[in-house]
Amino acid sequence: MNRLLNKTLLYYSFFATVILLLSAPFIYWTMEKLYKDDVDEAILLRRDEFETNNRKSLHISDIPVWNQFNRDTRILPDTVKTSPKDSIIQQVFYDALVPEWEPYRVLYKDVAIEGKPFVLMIRLNLVESDDLIRTIVWIYIGILFVLLLVIFFITLFVSNRLWKPFYDTLHKIEQFNIELHNAPGFSHTKVTEFSQLNSRLTKLIQHSLQSYVTQKTFTQNASHELQTPLAVFQSKLDLLLQDNSLRKDQVIILHSLYESVSRLTRINKNLLLLAKIENNQFADVSSVRVNDIIKEVIPYFTEQAESKKLTIEMDFKNIISLNANKVLAEIMINNLLLNAIRHNIENGEIIIKLEANSLSIANTGAEKALDGHTVFERFRKNSTDARSSGLGLAIAKEICDRNSWEISYSFKASVHIFTIAF
Amino acid sequence: MQQKSLYLPTMVIQKFYNIEQLNCEMKILIIEDEKELAENIATYLKGESYVCEFASTYHDAISKTGIYDYDCILLDLMLPDGDGLKILEALRKENKQDGVIIISAKDAIEDKITGLKLGADDYLPKPFHLSELGARIYSIIRRKHFGSTNSIQVNELNVDLLAKTVRVNNLLVQLTKKEFELLLFLLGNKNKTISTAALAEHLSGDMADMLDNYDFVYSHVKNLKKKLTEAGCKNYIKTTYGMGYKWEA
Repeated sequence: MNRLLNKTLLYYSFFATVILLLSAPFIYWTMEKLYKDDVDEAILLRRDEFETNNRKSLHISDIPVWNQFNRDTRILPDTVKTSPKDSIIQQVFYDALVPEWEPYRVLYKDVAIEGKPFVLMIRLNLVESDDLIRTIVWIYIGILFVLLLVIFFITLFVSNRLWKPFYDTLHKIEQFNIELHNAPGFSHTKVTEFSQLNSRLTKLIQHSLQSYVTQKTFTQNASHELQTPLAVFQSKLDLLLQDNSLRKDQVIILHSLYESVSRLTRINKNLLLLAKIENNQFADVSSVRVNDIIKEVIPYFTEQAESKKLTIEMDFKNIISLNANKVLAEIMINNLLLNAIRHNIENGEIIIKLEANSLSIANTGAEKALDGHTVFERFRKNSTDARSSGLGLAIAKEICDRNSWEISYSFKASVHIFTIAF
Repeated sequence: MQQKSLYLPTMVIQKFYNIEQLNCEMKILIIEDEKELAENIATYLKGESYVCEFASTYHDAISKTGIYDYDCILLDLMLPDGDGLKILEALRKENKQDGVIIISAKDAIEDKITGLKLGADDYLPKPFHLSELGARIYSIIRRKHFGSTNSIQVNELNVDLLAKTVRVNNLLVQLTKKEFELLLFLLGNKNKTISTAALAEHLSGDMADMLDNYDFVYSHVKNLKKKLTEAGCKNYIKTTYGMGYKWEA
């Protein structure tokens, strides 16, 4: 992932370099053209000078001497066939001194000296101009690079300043946790887009919080409302039970009604419990020792385990003391133990282990691993046991999440293991 | 006010009722806006020397408790025209010593604590088994009326509620805590069939909400029966096929 700023700078540098590279030949060409025009002008000036100052006073016999002392303004016999005449062309001449071929701007012109036709040749060397142009282009490139560098840092600075409200907002959203109800307060910004973004976000967050609260209170209210009809249902059954004239088949129906109502009650109470945990209604925290909780409840679970003839083994390698709500810690451990009993097999085994910083409860059971991702979901049942409420592990997970403990499931050597890392 | 309340309990104790021996009627007020539930409770309690009266609103309840004394008041906290806890406050303000059991749909620890602090004797969250309610009413009335000499005599069986001992023909019978609780529960619901579920939930206390296996009840009942009959007690515990147990005396 690239930061927005890096991306801006990357684009910026890329296009700047391309433009720079493309512009360099153009600049070179322009400079060269300008220089040539300059040279051409000088040639024309010399021509006019020759016409006005030299031609009339020059004799044919002077020509060899003239040519000897004027390397660049020569008078040639008209036998020289050059085309075109009267216009400046580019030509190379061999310079014996350097020695190499060098570029020249040249003008050939027909002139009459003492009535006889001759050809005037005026030329100017371009070598120096090449150096000059090269230097100029290098300077130009240098300036552009410095400019680019300056622009780069200015962009960096400006972008950082411009995007500051954005990063500010981003940071605040990252801190936001709907469960903690800490709606972020965005700082004021003068940029229309950012202020729009902030106000939209504020609205969105308010809305989410509202729905969250509504949903949470809904579960709690619904569960509460169900308690009374459930109580009526339950009491009716208790009354019906007093009827001594019930037939055996009616008793069987009554029995299954009892089971249904107690399951309903259990689901309802567990839903209520979940809602209460979510609503932070177990806020008081004290020092809780996991060892003590387990020892306290073990007699009860041993009794529960008797019908399946389970053996419960305890392996406490450490004393774990937690800073948590005692009721919740108990509920979590109870749920895990009950889960280990419920999904166990006849003559099975339960091993409760306390390691340096973790509690693990392992139990024998179905010879197949459960789906580790969905096992903690609400109403996700992995067994056909009709008595399970489907909420026990979800509650345990919720309690772990609340306390930032890590709960995980694994399946090793036909044993289901639930581990909580504190 | 505090001083006055010190005298009153002794006065109540001096009324000296005994549910079994005097066969005196116990007056119970059911403050509950859900008529069905109130009637079910009354039907269940009827016949066991309990007389029930109803109040379905806050005002009704306030006027009834103002005029009469009850042995036990069942109090629903959420009434259409007022908070049930206010009734409790009013009762305690007037130094009335009626036993109060809060029956509430709100199973919140705070409510429970406030209720008990305000002087309620017990707190029973809805939904509950009628047998559970019966046992609690029985226990409260006994506590209110018999104070220091609280023991139940059923023919050859004697249960001392304070010392938590059981004697058959004056011979001590060693019962476990669970068996003793079971016996009390049965005694509190005499001649009523008690469902296994109700017994299981009663015996598991706080753990009841996650309970799903009632098998352990069977072994507790079996052990209790055995211990009592071996000590020479008549077998009062009857098993109703597939449904539960009954104390017949």
